[in-house]
Amino acid sequence: MTNASQIPKGLTACPDCDLLLHTSDSDHRQEGHCPRCAATLWHASNPSADIDLAAAVSGLLLFIPAMSLPILKLDMVGQLGSNSLLGGVVRLWLENEHLLAVLILLCSLLAPLMHLLLTTMIGISIRLKRYPRYFPAWLKCKVWMQSWSMLEVYAMGIIVAYVKMMDPGEVSVASGTYCLVGLLLCIILCSQYFHEEQAWQYWEQRS
Amino acid sequence: MTVTAQQRGIARCTTCGKLSRITTTSQAQSWHCTRCAAPLSFRQPRSLQRSWAYTLAAAFLMIPANILPILTVISFGKGDPDTIMSGVVKLWQADLQAIAAIVFIASIAVPVIKLMIIIILILAVQLHLPLSKQQCTVLYRFIHFIGRWSMLDLFMISILVTLVHLGNIATVESGPAATAFAAVVVLTLFAANSFDPRLLWDLDND
Ligand SMILES: [Zn+2]
Ligand SMILES: [Zn+2]
Repeated sequence: MTNASQIPKGLTACPDCDLLLHTSDSDHRQEGHCPRCAATLWHASNPSADIDLAAAVSGLLLFIPAMSLPILKLDMVGQLGSNSLLGGVVRLWLENEHLLAVLILLCSLLAPLMHLLLTTMIGISIRLKRYPRYFPAWLKCKVWMQSWSMLEVYAMGIIVAYVKMMDPGEVSVASGTYCLVGLLLCIILCSQYFHEEQAWQYWEQRS
Repeated sequence: MTVTAQQRGIARCTTCGKLSRITTTSQAQSWHCTRCAAPLSFRQPRSLQRSWAYTLAAAFLMIPANILPILTVISFGKGDPDTIMSGVVKLWQADLQAIAAIVFIASIAVPVIKLMIIIILILAVQLHLPLSKQQCTVLYRFIHFIGRWSMLDLFMISILVTLVHLGNIATVESGPAATAFAAVVVLTLFAANSFDPRLLWDLDND
């Protein structure tokens, strides 16, 4: 294993087309785009940097009610049914749809939870200026979890299921949906205001 | 005159984005990023082979995913299995055109379009097709953006099997196509992630 040698500051390479660019510090005040392929190269440095941590903590508080409270309620000829995020995964597992259950567990439960949890841990450690040995692993894990977190698609699934069941039964929105909408907002804010490059720079300049 | 990082012997870390100078003198030597310790290379290793493998596997699994029943509504003991397409048709006939369109786009159009775009992108690199690099890059970003929406049908199944679990009156059961479709979604996500868009732009440099 060889550690690569450093290169001078002010050079940027486009992730999508590999164009090499010279940039100055003043360029970084606004969002940067690649002149060849228009990829976003960096985000504008934002002064209100506490939004990501605040959103992550709020999301964590909403997490347990959003996962366990009923999302939809169904009344069919006097029989009542309801569903929750956790219940859906358990039901699929019991019906021997193991692969599907694991995928839905990851995309609708585990990935959003880990995304919020890791953003909180990274945010706290940056604010305390204490960088544990696991900091790079947290960051890498956060990016991976973020890419598998698909609660916004799940929310669309709720709408489709709601419309589908309107005809055969009496379907109503339950408390879990409101928590889920709140959780979704927190996740969106958390993704918008957290900048990985900045976190990596803090890690690099720790000492 | 455009200069790429590779031409200057600079590799961008795909994990953290840091640039490092590496040389390709010895094959056995492997380079690692000084910031995040991830392995470094100029381009994603074996990008095209891996994309092909995932794409072909996904295309093959599209067959059972669309032929077999994905959802069965059992009402008063009477089963009514639905494939993805027949589910869409039923929604349409029930005057729920908007929802039918959403399900059709998420479950049928997105996976098919995604596979077609990935194949076009791979062929553009392998056969040096004279396509606009800008447009190919837009397509690449598009498949990354839409890919996750294919999960819609699977989430809906997990909602319905739990919601409609009313003993003799009505139950909803998932069918064998659900697992096949889940595999299609995951494989197309892998295929899109394996493709390195920088290979498209490299065609300009040779
Ligand atoms: Zn570019
Ligand atoms: Zn790195």
